[in-house]
Amino acid sequence: MSKETVVALIGAGGIAEFHLPALLTTGARVVVWSQEGAPELVRRFGGEIAGSFEEALGVADVVDVATPTDTHHALASAALLAGKDVILEKPVARTAEQVSDLRRLSAETGRRVFPGHVVRYFPEYATLHAAVRDKVAGELAVLRFVRSGAFPARSAWFADPARSGGIILDLMIHDIDIARWIAGEVRRVSAVARRIDSEGDVCEAAHVLLEHDSGAITHVAGVWGPPHIDFTTEYSVAGTGGVLSHSSSATKGLVADVRPGGGPPPSVPASASATSPFALEVADFLRAREAGEDARVTFEDGARAAEIALAAIESTTTGQPVLLDAVGAGTRG
Amino acid sequence: MAEPLRVGIVSFAHPHALSYVAELRQLAGVAVRVTDPGPWRDGDDRGRALAARLGVDYADDLDDLLAWGPDAVVIASENARHRADVERAAAAGAHILCEKPLATTLDDAHAIRDAVRAAGVTLTVAYPVRFARAFGELRELHASGRLGQLLAVRGSNNGKLPGDRAWFTDEELSGGGALMDHVVHVADLVDGLAGADPVAVTAVVNSTLHDVPAGLETAGLVTVAYADGLVAAIDCSWSRPASAPTWGGLRISVAGTGGSVDVDFFGRSVQGIAADDGRAIELPYAPGTDGDLIGEFLRAARTGVQGEPDVEGGIRTVAVALAARESARSGRTVTLTRGADGRLTFTPDAGS
Repeated sequence: MSKETVVALIGAGGIAEFHLPALLTTGARVVVWSQEGAPELVRRFGGEIAGSFEEALGVADVVDVATPTDTHHALASAALLAGKDVILEKPVARTAEQVSDLRRLSAETGRRVFPGHVVRYFPEYATLHAAVRDKVAGELAVLRFVRSGAFPARSAWFADPARSGGIILDLMIHDIDIARWIAGEVRRVSAVARRIDSEGDVCEAAHVLLEHDSGAITHVAGVWGPPHIDFTTEYSVAGTGGVLSHSSSATKGLVADVRPGGGPPPSVPASASATSPFALEVADFLRAREAGEDARVTFEDGARAAEIALAAIESTTTGQPVLLDAVGAGTRG
Repeated sequence: MAEPLRVGIVSFAHPHALSYVAELRQLAGVAVRVTDPGPWRDGDDRGRALAARLGVDYADDLDDLLAWGPDAVVIASENARHRADVERAAAAGAHILCEKPLATTLDDAHAIRDAVRAAGVTLTVAYPVRFARAFGELRELHASGRLGQLLAVRGSNNGKLPGDRAWFTDEELSGGGALMDHVVHVADLVDGLAGADPVAVTAVVNSTLHDVPAGLETAGLVTVAYADGLVAAIDCSWSRPASAPTWGGLRISVAGTGGSVDVDFFGRSVQGIAADDGRAIELPYAPGTDGDLIGEFLRAARTGVQGEPDVEGGIRTVAVALAARESARSGRTVTLTRGADGRLTFTPDAGS
């Protein structure tokens, strides 16, 4: 790299714990600003602390927005208007209007937005994508994805649908993005969901159905269960050429049965690769930025995934499937 | 010695009939007689010749079979013929085991209920997976409270394209494709676990897999919302490649506020790989449950006491499959309501 890239990491919560070490492995200089927790985060992983959002913005080439979902639009907008490229944790925004506005702002400022759909950098999903591209499964017919873990109780905003969008927008958007990556554009979406809040202990689950333009159909299942359950993922992709499937619980490279200890189960699934998928992701983003190329996941991918997830949420309230318009046009009734 | 229990079997249309014959023939105190008058496609292995080969008595037609005075009758005819066959057998006073799905229309399903009620006979729906030991364990986990409140169920019942009987892909007789064939097994397990009425059903389908008559779905995904708030999703696709070592399988995952349970009903197998061509070897060893299903059917027939899965469950589960077909056709979510007369009806949303 000709010149050291300076990244302003905004936020010091759960996902920042993955972004900061990933950014540091790229050789970038990282300044962290957060309303709380920045000193502790920097003490653990390195980097510097900025005194204010403006100070961080002032020194940055790239702004990494790793904050609660409902703040994404305001922070990313500020960064774009300041002429910065943006790494934007998924979902790119909380509402369809915010998604459209970011699309407009990115086009107007000519700045890049890289959405943090890190699952594309998990090798089991990258392998699936490559296999489908190589027609291993033939023409795709029916796809299933599952993502299941403990309710994210580490921060209160997840439990507030107005802030997080709930399980569909926060968790299942990963598999919505993968389904679209694998099987192409989505024309219709429906969903059913259940949330049980017993004395502050929240659990949530949903099923989302997608119809792709190709005719392929997808089921995305998400579970936010009680604190003890493992984070697991599964997929099954069936086509005219055969079936490709994976289960994280059935495919462990290491199984330890040792004296109980340590903390609760991890909040993100373990990856098979030595390099963290987050490091692969931010390295790809910074490389794509330097080269002026697309990264593995583009802003439009993130915007579409958010629009599909938001349409799924709409379906849970209207009780009917929602038709999606062509790229960039949002939904129609 | 007491008179043997007379068990009639109506039709070899459903291949499970062969399994029921095998189970029944090994039981003491049971006499079995089959009728399979057809019509069926030339070349299908059915009728008197098949009965002779199985070594089981044969009746010329349903009249002939009922004239024998069976205490109990297995209905294994094509789905669309269940109603007429159940009505005749029930009117003759026979207890019924009816192959799934119960019927191909809600009208027929309710007529079946009315027929067995009027005759005062029991009806057991042929959902053998219900009798799997793992399902009993799942029910106990739920009953004990350890699963907590149920959040969501997902199930997959994926098999090969049914190739041994042509009527499975003849909509007139089957009522549909993969939706009619495979939604009901998973729906029945949800029904056996929670038992609430389905209230909203959405389905997406395609015919990408296999060479089938136009418009017949070979893949389907269905979501169901239940009256108690539970949500379920079912993959009923015939997505198991024809070259696969086994027919397919059935799995369900149940998520509750207390944790989750995953059951792979046909998953236990010896696995290997063949040296000559690298093909997968899969030798399932989980015991079959057709014998348990037959056991429950005969218990109900001998005592006259209705057990499970009963005709009401058969209606709730086939209603899910039929609503799924309507949803796939209309592109809308289909709402199910239970009327004052106790009947389930579905209506596409008024906005459609």
